[in-house]
Amino acid sequence: MSSAPDQAFAIRASRGDVQAFRLLVQEHSGLVYRVALRILGVEDAQDASQEVWIRVWRNIESFRGDSAFSTWLYRITVNTCLSVRRKESRRGEREYSGEAMPFLPEPSGGDADPEAAVLGTERREEIQAALGHVRAEHRAALVLRHMEGLSYAEIAEVLEVPDGTAKGWVSRGRAAMLIALAEENHGVREAGGAAG
Amino acid sequence: MMPAGEQHWEMLERIGAYAADELEGEEAREVERLVFERPEYRRLAESYARMLVMLTTLGNEPVEAPEAVVGYAIRRAYVSAFMRRAEVFVGALGRSYIDAFVYYLGLRQESYGGGI
Repeated sequence: MSSAPDQAFAIRASRGDVQAFRLLVQEHSGLVYRVALRILGVEDAQDASQEVWIRVWRNIESFRGDSAFSTWLYRITVNTCLSVRRKESRRGEREYSGEAMPFLPEPSGGDADPEAAVLGTERREEIQAALGHVRAEHRAALVLRHMEGLSYAEIAEVLEVPDGTAKGWVSRGRAAMLIALAEENHGVREAGGAAG
Repeated sequence: MMPAGEQHWEMLERIGAYAADELEGEEAREVERLVFERPEYRRLAESYARMLVMLTTLGNEPVEAPEAVVGYAIRRAYVSAFMRRAEVFVGALGRSYIDAFVYYLGLRQESYGGGI
């Protein structure tokens, strides 16, 4: 998940080398902003990203190179985003009654339509809005798994939880996301067929 | 017996894991059978598959951090590093002055080998 130069730059930065820190920021600012954007949304992503880099610089002396630099960076990013979210109540989380199946509407061009090859603005907004309705920890796990492509072992290391917990959070996040996305699409239907 | 809501939720999660290709062995076969036999589960699996493709597609799109984030982080680090050095310098200077003052007042017996 991380390259040897990253480790070297991180170790140099931990000794106070600002030039090495600058290279790390330039290399990984996209990762930090991207994850913050997915977990928090566009309103808070910039402030959270700045806070992440302040924490990285402040704590880089504690980076020993035992884990990959990117794992360490993901951990600080996710923790920062979750601390922003904890300040808010659990607003917006959707409850699942258990009586309706969340279905997404068929793509307009049928199954052969490469819907996802290019996501329109409206679809992006739907996805971001639906992510906002997933509990923060589950959302973080979901983002790391299905948007960042991390393995469960890596997710567990980033979130500092056992592998089984990481798997459970991804699974619940996936289900909650589908429910929220189906509602965004007004596609929730009861298992028997009537609208839910 | 598990309440209906919990059973629905469990099924929802299992079909999600099936759509994400994360089930193995007997469990994978069992869910696959249900997906083939029951249209609502098949539709659910298809919905999951579409959602996962959308998430992956969005995740693969390059995202650049605003220039302000990068600039701010680097400026903060330079200022912080400067302050650390200044702190060390002022601390060392202060200690030297105190040592010199102590030496001047003759409060310390030992010699520094010719100077402070």
